[in-house]
Amino acid sequence: MAYRVALRPELFLSFSSPPSKNNSGRRMAPIRVSMAATVDTKVETQKKPFSPPREVHVQVTHSMPPQKIEMFKSLESWAETNILPLLKPVEKCWQPQDFLPEPSSDEFYDEIKEIRLRAKEIPDDYYVCLVGDMITEEALPTYQTMLNTLDGVRDETGASLTSWAIWTRAWTAEENRHGDLLNKYLYLSGRVDMKMIEKTIQYLIGSGMDPRTENNPYLGFIYTSFQERATFISHGNTARHAKEYGDLKLAQLCGMIAADEKRHETAYTKITEKLFELDPDGTILALEDMMRKKISMPAHLMYDGVDDNLFEHFSMVAQRLGVYTAKDYADILDFLVARWKVGDLTGLSGEGAKAQEYVCTLAARIRRLEERAQSRASKERRNKAFSWIYGREVQLK
Amino acid sequence: MASLTGSAVSVSAPVMRRIKATNGASSLNSVSFFGQKRSFSSSARLSISCAAKQETVDKVCEIVRKQLAIAGDTPVTGESKFSELGADSLDTVEIVMGLEESFDISVDESSAQEIATVKDAAEMIDKLIACK
Repeated sequence: MAYRVALRPELFLSFSSPPSKNNSGRRMAPIRVSMAATVDTKVETQKKPFSPPREVHVQVTHSMPPQKIEMFKSLESWAETNILPLLKPVEKCWQPQDFLPEPSSDEFYDEIKEIRLRAKEIPDDYYVCLVGDMITEEALPTYQTMLNTLDGVRDETGASLTSWAIWTRAWTAEENRHGDLLNKYLYLSGRVDMKMIEKTIQYLIGSGMDPRTENNPYLGFIYTSFQERATFISHGNTARHAKEYGDLKLAQLCGMIAADEKRHETAYTKITEKLFELDPDGTILALEDMMRKKISMPAHLMYDGVDDNLFEHFSMVAQRLGVYTAKDYADILDFLVARWKVGDLTGLSGEGAKAQEYVCTLAARIRRLEERAQSRASKERRNKAFSWIYGREVQLK
Repeated sequence: MASLTGSAVSVSAPVMRRIKATNGASSLNSVSFFGQKRSFSSSARLSISCAAKQETVDKVCEIVRKQLAIAGDTPVTGESKFSELGADSLDTVEIVMGLEESFDISVDESSAQEIATVKDAAEMIDKLIACK
């Protein structure tokens, strides 16, 4: 199954493993299910109606050896000096209201009209991408949770004063503005079905996600480094497209979100750089592990009660529009390999050296796979209806 | 003709593999072939009943060995499963790509999905070559 996913790069790169609707993994091999039904007397049990996808992999916990927890404790003052300054003081932060019509003003209604006029000029497929991104941002509780699963750096009380805890809460607070802003903008635009979007968000937060970071901050910070860059690229692309469609306000707000993500990327890559400095062998093994497991997208379990393959379809639109592509995945890996000077690491163990080789050659392999898939992709156009846009159809490929 | 063979491959393979999984004996291949024979036209029947040529199996083993950098003393045979040889999803795709280049064939996604062992690959290759 993973092989089939691999031939469709957007899936290969989007899933750590495909989500399952029931224990038999219905989605994984539909061909086999029907064969079993015709040849064997045993029939596949029907999946429950309206059930969101679940993670299929075995969920591993606490894979970091306990002695390494000490290392993170001892890094608290380093984090205070090097990481916390990358947070923006609240007084200096933009707020969603900065980009939205001012409710107390007489111009409020006109400003909303302007938003709706500009929004009419933007096509549905762009909105599918923007909505998918917004839903991802709105599942923030899952990400704060994920950070707090990490040994050595978790916020033990919810108000812990360790540098790590201060970072996590402030990061969450900054990210919170992203979902709020996109939510209000999409609401005012008049182009999307807010109820279906809100339903999708409720399902998604309920589903959570397991990025396979195993309570291990090595894996966790590598994952977040990758993700922040991915989201920076994605929002940067939606900003660029909005500008092309003539909605400069939308372009600006996507741009502000992208700038935040860039700053967060800087922080997480800096932490991982420090880990490479202190424990190069452990960190390269962690990087290999995350890349072999594949960086799963945070919203891969998304579900709207209607489309069983919602994330797959959303990814295809994002791929087609160039909002976030398989090529971006390879580019991010290249960027991180260069950023962390993975190629220059020395003094590695045998396993570490193998991991270094794997990581350094992986991006090229992915690109080759993607090129081949593109050249062999059927030119046949395929459309899909999205509940987020009132059941209107967009082109998947 | 090609599409008929293609569909024959995708229909027969899961049955073969399902039986293999429960019994673990590859000799049941012939049983499953005969069991399914009734539903196929004679031309499809002809293409299904050929087992892989040893030459093809050997060439596939060589390609797999190279892709997975398998040590010389580790055996790779027709029965070898890709997953047991340490192939991940990326390796499997690259192996198929290598087979395509080496045998000058084109493997479609659904056929590629059914390949679990070296023998599966060799049989598929022989069929595709026969159809060219």
